[in-house]
Amino acid sequence: MSTRWRGRLGAGGAALVLAGSLLSCGDGSAAAGTPTLNWYVNPDNGGQQRIAEQCSADSGGAYRIEVSILPSDAAQQREQLMRRLAGNDTSIDMMSLDPVFVPETSEAGFLEPIPEDLQQELSAGVVQGAVQGASWKGELVAAPFWANTQLLWYRRSVAEAAGLDTTRPVTWEQLIEAAQSQDTAIGVQGQRAESMTVWVNAMIASAGGEVIENPDAKGPDIRLGIDSDAGRAAADVMRALAEAGVTGPGVDNRDEAATANLFQQGGAAFMVNWPFVYAQGKSAAEGGTMDRAVFDDYGWTTYPAMDAGTPAAPPLGGIDIGVSAFSENPDLAFDAVRCIVSQENQAAYMVSDGNPAALESVYDDPEVQEAYPMYDAIRTSLQAAAPRPQTAYYNEVSQGIADQWQPVTSVGEQTPQESQEYIEQVLRGEKLL
Amino acid sequence: MSATATPLGADVAADPRSTRRSRGSDKSRAEAKLGWYLAGPAFVILVLVTGYPIVQALYDSLFSYRLTAPADREFIGLRNYGVILTDTLWWEALANTALITVVTVAVELVLGFALAMVMHKVLGWLRPIVRTAILVPYAVITVVSAYAWQYAFALTTGFMNAVVPGVGEDFDWFANKWTALLVICLSEIWKTTPFISLLLLAGLAQVPSDTIEAAKVDGATAWERLWRVTLPNMKASIMVALLFRALDAFRIFDNVYIMTQGAAGTQTVSALAYNQTISRLEIGLGSAVSVLLFVCVLAICFIAIKVFKVDLARARGEG
Amino acid sequence: MGAMSTKEKAGWYVGALLIVLYAIVPVVYILSMSFKSESDLSNRQFFPTTWTGENYSGIFAGSGSELFLPALRNSIITCLVATLIAVVLAMFAAYAIARLNFPGKRLVLTSALAVAVFPVITMVTPLFNLWRRIGLYDTIPGLIIPYLALTLPISIWTMSAFFRGIPWDMEQAAQVDGATSWQAFRKVIVPLAAPGVFTTAIIAFFIAWNDFVFGISLTSTSRAQPVPAALSSFTGSSYFVQPTGAISAAAVIVTIPVVLLALVFQRRIVAGLTNGAVKG
Repeated sequence: MSTRWRGRLGAGGAALVLAGSLLSCGDGSAAAGTPTLNWYVNPDNGGQQRIAEQCSADSGGAYRIEVSILPSDAAQQREQLMRRLAGNDTSIDMMSLDPVFVPETSEAGFLEPIPEDLQQELSAGVVQGAVQGASWKGELVAAPFWANTQLLWYRRSVAEAAGLDTTRPVTWEQLIEAAQSQDTAIGVQGQRAESMTVWVNAMIASAGGEVIENPDAKGPDIRLGIDSDAGRAAADVMRALAEAGVTGPGVDNRDEAATANLFQQGGAAFMVNWPFVYAQGKSAAEGGTMDRAVFDDYGWTTYPAMDAGTPAAPPLGGIDIGVSAFSENPDLAFDAVRCIVSQENQAAYMVSDGNPAALESVYDDPEVQEAYPMYDAIRTSLQAAAPRPQTAYYNEVSQGIADQWQPVTSVGEQTPQESQEYIEQVLRGEKLL
Repeated sequence: MSATATPLGADVAADPRSTRRSRGSDKSRAEAKLGWYLAGPAFVILVLVTGYPIVQALYDSLFSYRLTAPADREFIGLRNYGVILTDTLWWEALANTALITVVTVAVELVLGFALAMVMHKVLGWLRPIVRTAILVPYAVITVVSAYAWQYAFALTTGFMNAVVPGVGEDFDWFANKWTALLVICLSEIWKTTPFISLLLLAGLAQVPSDTIEAAKVDGATAWERLWRVTLPNMKASIMVALLFRALDAFRIFDNVYIMTQGAAGTQTVSALAYNQTISRLEIGLGSAVSVLLFVCVLAICFIAIKVFKVDLARARGEG
Repeated sequence: MGAMSTKEKAGWYVGALLIVLYAIVPVVYILSMSFKSESDLSNRQFFPTTWTGENYSGIFAGSGSELFLPALRNSIITCLVATLIAVVLAMFAAYAIARLNFPGKRLVLTSALAVAVFPVITMVTPLFNLWRRIGLYDTIPGLIIPYLALTLPISIWTMSAFFRGIPWDMEQAAQVDGATSWQAFRKVIVPLAAPGVFTTAIIAFFIAWNDFVFGISLTSTSRAQPVPAALSSFTGSSYFVQPTGAISAAAVIVTIPVVLLALVFQRRIVAGLTNGAVKG
């Protein structure tokens, strides 16, 4: 990297050369001969870095993986990757992609197609939702690495006092009633951000609808399914939450972390959230910042349903590993990907970073079961989970939903229709976002 | 540089800008040449780093061009401008930007003047302390200021709800457009008032103290002295400070980006342009927003110079 | 300035105290946030209940260090080099403006003024597109060049104002006294001009250090990302946890150098700022 950098300087002046040589001290450690694979990762607890080291060592000198860290926000990760890839940047070999951005990346030709036999191998034993999330136009275009899903979390004592039967799927209606009767709140994510789309999509999917009806279409031709019975049912739930006054304080700027805090501090006895909240509660209880009894009161079940007869389609998240179309060593990169998503690595990653595995067999691992007593709920949830709309225009659709369905208190009967019209206008290039 | 000193010769008077050019000699031609040799590199860089982008942005703004779909790039004339100018979001962003500009500049002018008065009057050991303290907000980077004010007001981390009277514990400042804009303005004001107050301090120092004394002898009250003597004498520095801060405030981005990302109707023009080009990678539409922002800045300059008669020679430091 | 009554004096002193409070409370707050433990960060109080250095060890040695240390290095290199280039170029330009009479002098000054008010966001997209084509995207030179647009204009004004105040005829006087022109320049002009150049450098450095828009738009990794842009890449103890502690600690670290400069060179900076923009 440093030689290329310096070569460009030309007449840049002595000061720049000085800067260049200072720089190369920092990263000029590549061992000669071993090809380096650059892996762009979302920030985590260091688990991907550990896997990179492990796989580099296991490769027996075939390759060495260097990790570069992207911003923490999924939308910003996409921004950074797209900007680099649009410049045909050969310095990216592999990238950790949020499933929602897989279609756009693939559609733009930025992902190296995965050989047929490897597609088989990488999807074998992987939960259905995760395979779907990593596919585009019928082909697996990225390797499922981990798969996230949301559960309904509750305080056992409060649920009991409210007479809420959590052994069967709970509906939003029952939940609102229970929260109201116990004078507590339901922790939902009401921030104008990706988490809003996660929520809206899960409700529309659970009510049997689809946010996008023709995912393969080009921007202007996309048909949305928000202005539908399912969309109106989702809006009804939000309105009911707001009217019952059970959204809790600060819902309009609440993200996943703030929800977890609210739940931990007792401001909400129910919440929908990703499994990281369990690890967080555990460390708070062990660190003495939360009462142990509160942690022991944590309960969980699958995501709330829209109506009693139909099980919910919970949110799906996670990370897939894609190989860049501009990589100079695509074959080595695919080898590295196979190593990264191996069962051992997924299990270790789930324990170290709290991110659920995409491979079903990982949930049979005793270590995983010990760290995550709700492993079965996670697995069940992943099997039923619905991916967010798959489209090359995901960013527009998601930002549009977040913009129109927020704040929660403003959502009403007209929201599905208005938001659909707005997003369609944005997709046709007739509106700003 | 020693060589440059000699050709001027010993006959150059104390004022180097005397009417030497009228002699039309080789000397003045050599001087012109030297002037351009010295000022040229800086000038060329200034023109390139801004001239190229604005021309390119003008060109790009005529296309429908998405970075991730380069094959679909299409010339569409002025349609992007039509889309923007008929979009309520643009007008909302423009109104927010104008509001932030007017409010922050007005508050900063009054507050900055008060700070300048204190700095002017306080003597002794306190003087360097006050002047150093005032430089702290000036030196702190905008992003840090944005985080500090955001954390102070945010529902999850902030202590402000406990401090501000009449505000409930659960009040969410960033959920409401006006309170969110208020916090954004507070951060902006905190960070930039010192700059304005230093400019005003310079102006205060130029007010002839004997005129003030004379007014005092004539029985003018402190208030009258301020309005009749001090302020009129400072008019030029006030106008320049106003113009600079207004143009700076109009480009507000960092505070909005960190604190709200444009949520709750707090979008500003710069943040809107950023969202189209960098987030959505819609180069054509975003370039058109950028060009419109540039036009707004030009309009402010034009109004300042033509209507308020801000003395540009003074702003250029030629005074 | 006439004699002040004791009461009047006390009033100004109270005012001075208020100014000091105004200036430092937000800074003290972010400092206090940076010493909070993870559970304290949401205690919604000004001060931590227990003071901890874990946020600092996190960004210097822990998981945040891979992000923060390169970013700090990038910020320092980029800002120093940009300042150096801007000050050298501006020094020549300011000398010409202050001492020489040449056609287009006003053009140079007016264009500096125009660039200073140019909306940064307008520069970003075209530069980004050009940079990724010619390979300057996510490189340090790719940041230094746009930083010149931020630092050059103010450097030119500030230094022209300083240079105009230098009694240049002293140089001739020295030469009359038998010094060579080089000696005259070195012994007379350099000591007179140096404070102005130095002050300009500090102000230019502040401005480069403050940049955020170019940082988030023209870089994407620790190869060139400066600290303000890197703050948004920090992560909490898990994927969804807000990195409030890490951000606060990093914010304090980037504030230290500029506040130190402000403390040490207070008098000069005040003079530089007041001279440059409004010359009476």
